[in-house]
Amino acid sequence: MTETLNALLSGFAVALTPINLLWGVIGVTLGTAVGVLPGVGPALTVAMLLPLTVKIDPTGALIMFAGIYYGAMYGGSTTTILLNTPGESASIATALEGNKMAKRGRAGPALATAAIGSFVAGSISVVLLTLLAPIVVELALRFSPADYFALMVFAFVTVAAVLGSSTVRGLTTLFIGLLLGLVGIDETTGQMRFAFGVPELLDGIDVVVLAVGLFAVGEALYGAAYQSRIKDQLERMSGSLMMTRDDWRRSWPAWLRATAIGFPFGTIPAGGAEIPTFLSYATEKKLSKHPEEFGHGAIEGVAGPEAANNASSTGVLVPLLTLGIPTSATAAILLAAFQNYGIQPGPLLFQTQSSLVWGLIASLYIGNVLLLVLNLPLIGLWVKVLTIPKPWLYGGILVFATLGAYSLHQSATDLITLYVFGLLGFAMRRWGFPVAPAVIGLILGPLAETQFRRALSISQGDPSVFITQPISASLLALTAALIIVPWLLRLRRRNARRAP
Amino acid sequence: MARAAGARAELALSLGVLALGLFALTTALNLPSAGGYSGIGPNAIPVAVSGALVALGAWLLVEVFTGGWRARISDDPLERGEHAFNTPAFAWVSVGLLAQMVLIHRAGFVLAAAVVFTCVARGFGSARPARDAMIGLVLGLVVFLFFVKFLNVGLPAGWLAPVLGGAGI
Repeated sequence: MTETLNALLSGFAVALTPINLLWGVIGVTLGTAVGVLPGVGPALTVAMLLPLTVKIDPTGALIMFAGIYYGAMYGGSTTTILLNTPGESASIATALEGNKMAKRGRAGPALATAAIGSFVAGSISVVLLTLLAPIVVELALRFSPADYFALMVFAFVTVAAVLGSSTVRGLTTLFIGLLLGLVGIDETTGQMRFAFGVPELLDGIDVVVLAVGLFAVGEALYGAAYQSRIKDQLERMSGSLMMTRDDWRRSWPAWLRATAIGFPFGTIPAGGAEIPTFLSYATEKKLSKHPEEFGHGAIEGVAGPEAANNASSTGVLVPLLTLGIPTSATAAILLAAFQNYGIQPGPLLFQTQSSLVWGLIASLYIGNVLLLVLNLPLIGLWVKVLTIPKPWLYGGILVFATLGAYSLHQSATDLITLYVFGLLGFAMRRWGFPVAPAVIGLILGPLAETQFRRALSISQGDPSVFITQPISASLLALTAALIIVPWLLRLRRRNARRAP
Repeated sequence: MARAAGARAELALSLGVLALGLFALTTALNLPSAGGYSGIGPNAIPVAVSGALVALGAWLLVEVFTGGWRARISDDPLERGEHAFNTPAFAWVSVGLLAQMVLIHRAGFVLAAAVVFTCVARGFGSARPARDAMIGLVLGLVVFLFFVKFLNVGLPAGWLAPVLGGAGI
């Protein structure tokens, strides 16, 4: 306990140096801006900046990336409430009530409860992260390669098959990501795989090109094709930001409940903040003394989901930092950022890069405060950002997207690959294939293969190692249950319907 | 009508996944299988992954012929709150990106950025290309100077090299 406190204090010493504080401010500002802008998300922003930040020291760069990750959560609520275009699935629940409040002239309190709720949930979650991380690290140090492999399989299955509307389409995207991850030179044997003698493919497919292609180019193609002639209805930011006494009384229990729902969901590799936000929405609707207001702008319906969103996005950092397992697209890109510096997140990170990782955690405390300061008084400024016309917005996005992809290797070939992934992203968006599993597969796939082969090397090729070790066995059993149980339930429901 | 076109697209995509899987599988089967202590070689995971893709392609195909993909996205744009596929818009964005590939090493980053900005803006319905080009040019210039001077990231100066001096590569 004291050890954790000391580590955290030295982390604050790192995060509060002027240069790191500056990176933090840049990160949260940029993050808020991209969160506000429809069509740009944190995953895309970090991906675009990856090649450009290799010359910055890792602590500063990662503090900035964490700020972007965080800031985007805050900024996203502004867009959702005023524009009713949830930028990501985790904001859909907020849109239900938030936009209704804005339509009734209560945009101010809606934005305020979202920002303050995010601050409360974010701060509590960072404390939980601080307390939980050392415990998970202790546990993870005992993990064998077989256990790691089982954990990664669990993450793959939850992200691809359990979430999302269609299991088969989620798995298809995952395996396309895994296949892309195999391209290049095999680290263990030096064997070339799927490179077809193309020199550019020997280094493998870069996550920057894939993520920017799917998120930026794919989105731009889709937006141009299907949405470019739609006029968006921007709600006016009128009236005061102040929440009434009644608003406060109704908001704070929702914030706390949402934190309790969101954080655990983030920490288990179940990816995404979508489920906890909807759970929080449903909980608030059930517990509310004014259930009739839901659907017409109930403040609890904004306070809860926004807080849950933030809590779960902090929770995601627990498996990312302590186990090296990303459970969302943004987390996968953050993992790639670590790898860019030759750092592998995982339990050892807390020993070998203690000042970096604790500096990063301390920066989250600071980031939450910065964001509250940045968001409430400056809300008018962020609303202005929303009025950028779509043609310029997407023009700008693609300038930065191509810049990011090009500056990887100063190669125009990467721009061709970028466009191909853009077409893929368009098709995935149009026909309902989730994007995150592809990015996670590309990043986590090679790590999973390494652990798999390491486990088999230790066991001298005996595959039973995965089911005889208790941790690995239980994780694999849990994974199997995740697939089989919903399937059985569906089967039973269908049979029940058939019976008279 | 919309459904028939949707079913065709689903069929094409399912066959695409199947073909990708089969192609990857034949490639993977030609990889060496020798593998030291672990008993598995560099081909094991590629075979497993491409095998899975074949199976998923087949699964998608089965769904096509048993009532269409499950939980599919509506084929009617209006139902999705969108408008019908706008071919010129899609084409303008594509043209911008393709032009940039061609231009970036010849004309340089700044001019290529102006072109991609203008084309994409056109795709999103802007009717004033001259104004867009000016904005794109300024944006490209600012980004160029920031990254080259401040972050030391090399970007090609191209035709503007005489103006930009030794700033680029």
